[in-house]
Amino acid sequence: MPRFCLLLLLLCAQRVLAAEDREAFNHPLPDLSAGQQVQFFEGRTLMHQSWIVAPSQDTQHDGLGPLYNQLACSSCHPKNGRGRTPDRRDERLQSALLRLSLPGPAGAAPRPHPAYGEQLNEQGIPGVPGEGSVFIDWQMQSLSLDDGQRLTLRRPRLRIVALAYGPLQGALTSLRVGPTLIGMGLLDAVSDETLHAMAAEPKPDGVRGRVNQLRGEDGQLRLGRFGLKANAPNLRQQIANAMLGDLGISSSLHPQQNCRPAQRACRAAPTGGEPELSEAQLDALTRYLALLQVPPARAATPATRHGAQLFMRLGCALCHRPQLRSGAQALAPQLAGQDFAPYSDLLLHDMGESLADHRPDYEAGGRDWRTAPLWGIGRIKAINEHSQFLHDGRARDLQEAILWHGGEAQTAQRRYRALSAQDREALLDFLRSL
Amino acid sequence: MSAPLCHDRRRLLQAFGGAALAAVAPPRAQAQTPDNTLNVLTAYPDEVVTRFVAAFGAAYPQYRLNMVWRMPHEALPYLQAPDQNGIDVYWSASPRTFAQIKAAQGWQVLPETLRSLPPRIGGCQLSDPQGYFVATEMAAYGFALNRARLRQRQLQAPSDWPELCDARYAGLIAMPDPARVGFAPVMLDIVLQAYGWQRGWALWQEIAGNAQLIGRGGSFVSDSVGTQGEAAVGLSIDFFVASAMANGADLDFIYPRHSGVNPGQVAVTASTPHREAALAFVGFLLSETGQALLLHPDLRKLPVRPSVYRQAPRGSFNPYLAAQAGGLDYDSTRTQARLGLLAALCEPCLSQPHAPLQALWRRIHAGEARGLKLAAARRELCRMPIDEAQAAELAPREYARRLEAQSESAPRAIEAQWSAFAAAQREQVARLLSAAGA
Ligand code: HEC
Ligand code: HEC
Repeated sequence: MPRFCLLLLLLCAQRVLAAEDREAFNHPLPDLSAGQQVQFFEGRTLMHQSWIVAPSQDTQHDGLGPLYNQLACSSCHPKNGRGRTPDRRDERLQSALLRLSLPGPAGAAPRPHPAYGEQLNEQGIPGVPGEGSVFIDWQMQSLSLDDGQRLTLRRPRLRIVALAYGPLQGALTSLRVGPTLIGMGLLDAVSDETLHAMAAEPKPDGVRGRVNQLRGEDGQLRLGRFGLKANAPNLRQQIANAMLGDLGISSSLHPQQNCRPAQRACRAAPTGGEPELSEAQLDALTRYLALLQVPPARAATPATRHGAQLFMRLGCALCHRPQLRSGAQALAPQLAGQDFAPYSDLLLHDMGESLADHRPDYEAGGRDWRTAPLWGIGRIKAINEHSQFLHDGRARDLQEAILWHGGEAQTAQRRYRALSAQDREALLDFLRSL
Repeated sequence: MSAPLCHDRRRLLQAFGGAALAAVAPPRAQAQTPDNTLNVLTAYPDEVVTRFVAAFGAAYPQYRLNMVWRMPHEALPYLQAPDQNGIDVYWSASPRTFAQIKAAQGWQVLPETLRSLPPRIGGCQLSDPQGYFVATEMAAYGFALNRARLRQRQLQAPSDWPELCDARYAGLIAMPDPARVGFAPVMLDIVLQAYGWQRGWALWQEIAGNAQLIGRGGSFVSDSVGTQGEAAVGLSIDFFVASAMANGADLDFIYPRHSGVNPGQVAVTASTPHREAALAFVGFLLSETGQALLLHPDLRKLPVRPSVYRQAPRGSFNPYLAAQAGGLDYDSTRTQARLGLLAALCEPCLSQPHAPLQALWRRIHAGEARGLKLAAARRELCRMPIDEAQAAELAPREYARRLEAQSESAPRAIEAQWSAFAAAQREQVARLLSAAGA
């Protein structure tokens, strides 16, 4: 198995890093040019910028909202790591959001809800009512592993209150947590050919994998790479989407404010420029995220080596690919033609009914999710001080994340359940070493 | 002072790009705000804000915090607008803003129960004697050290500001540009108070001659002292560096013999209809729980509640003990009025001509190493265009509204004079050096 050898090679080449490095997701690539360094620092500032209600003397950073979710990018991607979902039923969303849409034609962009758009913006600037609040009730269910160990899993039930613009009626919803933002420049540089080739490869265990083909209004087809359903073709587009959707900041890619026709106060509110985000700012933020270093995995131990073998044997690596290669086109020369280990194929997989959000997004169906990259996953606990995983943060540790796998990943999940306690621990050790 | 926040620096450069804007009252903000919502105006960075929002939400789920972010220099006009723009609480590290808004009668007196923490530390007035605002946290000034780089150059760690004038530190010091970085003017002033106007400026001139100035382009003093930079000593406010260290950076931080404190404070607006919620928020900030949040590795601000230091990691700095030992004698209110002027004065005298200044100091240091007597050139290079009395007279008249690190659209006439003074001074120093054979 050539892929297996490669994995071992990767493991052996890895450098050891201080266990406590809580800045591990914030370091730049080691060899930035002077120009890249300037953009990196500017982008870093923008990533942490709290945006200001317009008008402000600070014309570079005003224009928050009128409707928005948080003040800063870093609110949902703390330390470039993962956000979390509230554990308590009276806790507000902090680093998660709710996507919305109405059922629409298959394969098309999500149809915005007429009153609320594509995302529930919980906050509004003074004078503009926020759209509503989401609270979560956790429903518990139990299951047992093959060796008889009993566990409980939790599944979120949404409670949407204080809707300010009428009922949500028939809306499709999808709760999502801000994911880790390392390696974005490498993912951006994976070529269309590579994505198509991976999708076309025959795979065992009923695993398939599809690209999300995004048909733009201009009729052009682009392949999705970013977002949990791979609905954004490149990093720049994803950032512009976040600027508008999450902070209410317009840009060249989204020149309009995020107000629906009936949201009158929103439409009447002052803007912070047209657009609010300059091209230079969009570029700096894009370069910043692209130039972040992916921290090396921890040094292999006998347990993690065994865990890595199990990862291959169980079929996890069919989706969580330990090796990808970036193409020639990249946001920086350092990112082109690189072998790297995201533990993802960037493809969509049917993950079964229990993980389904039933909200299609272009060619991603209601049960489909993009394979979550696993690089850096072992550092989340130290960096973000929690161990929630999966798109909505329902898994409270890595094992729960695996146990939720269904659909195309059903076989791998069953194999995991059948492992001995020792082997399960070895596999988890391997994940924690990433 | 303007909030000493790492992400402000870009913005500080660009502030006041055009004519000052009057704060605009949103259409009946108050009427639209659901009654459990508390509007808090702040200039704290996102890391601070999100952590406190989450913790306050857990403690008081009945209230909904709405954070409104604005730089300190915009707080005054914003809070003077009709119905104070719907703001209930102001929470920032900007003592001058609190004082200015107090003078404009923008606050209400806090109840005695919220005024039980120490009102002073060392020379610093933490909380308002009349009870209009109280401190919630502190930060102190000192030196970030890269021990490995010091060792490489066989240099001792400095223990006070004058040691940084040593020519062996040339190129190894990272210093925030006082004209651009919000926390820097207080740092300047600490040295001016400790050593007097004349000697203090002489120290700053020579230290700046040894230093790289940080302030443009969003890089931090801790970057320069850290693995990505080349400096061995970084002059900084403590929490940037303490937080970097707590997150794994291989740095050290020491407090020099002369240091001082800058407090973050909180006040409740005079017009708030949400007094109960506002007091709950203030109470939370001052509570054991709220104060302990400051110890988090990502924040590392100094709590004002003395008992919380028992929870601090071993070896943490305790400013109350340091103040007893006389290390925090800086009187933050005595010279508060001149901080804006200091920033303005640095622009033509120190920041803008930084490269030629560095070159002159290199010549002086090299000449002295060869045994030349260059006292006249030194004296000339250290002169400032105004003395302390002139500064005291000018500051309230011209710079009352200018917060530190806030640049203005056009330099004032007097700043052009300073610039001319500094240019003539440099020429004179060059002549003196040439004459002395340096
Ligand atoms: C309210 C929370 C929130 C805020 C604020 C936020 N994000 Fe996100 N971010 C998310 C979520 C949730 C996703 C997953 C989106 C999806 O699946 O559609 C995401 C996805 C991303 C991704 C793609 C990651 C991947 O693996 O595909 C990038 C890049 C990103 N965000 C950058 C930003 C930037 C830059 C900002 C500031 C402009 C920002 N985000 C603000 C929640 C947030
Ligand atoms: C059929 C493809 C597929 C297979 C096989 C698969 N996964 Fe996944 N995995 C995914 C997808 C898609 C997600 C994201 C699901 C979600 O967020 O709801 C995911 C998520 C995860 C996560 C959580 C990551 C995060 O950031 O939240 C972990 C951990 C994980 N997988 C581990 C494994 C392990 C271990 C195996 C083998 C036992 C495995 N996966 C097999 C597709 C797969």
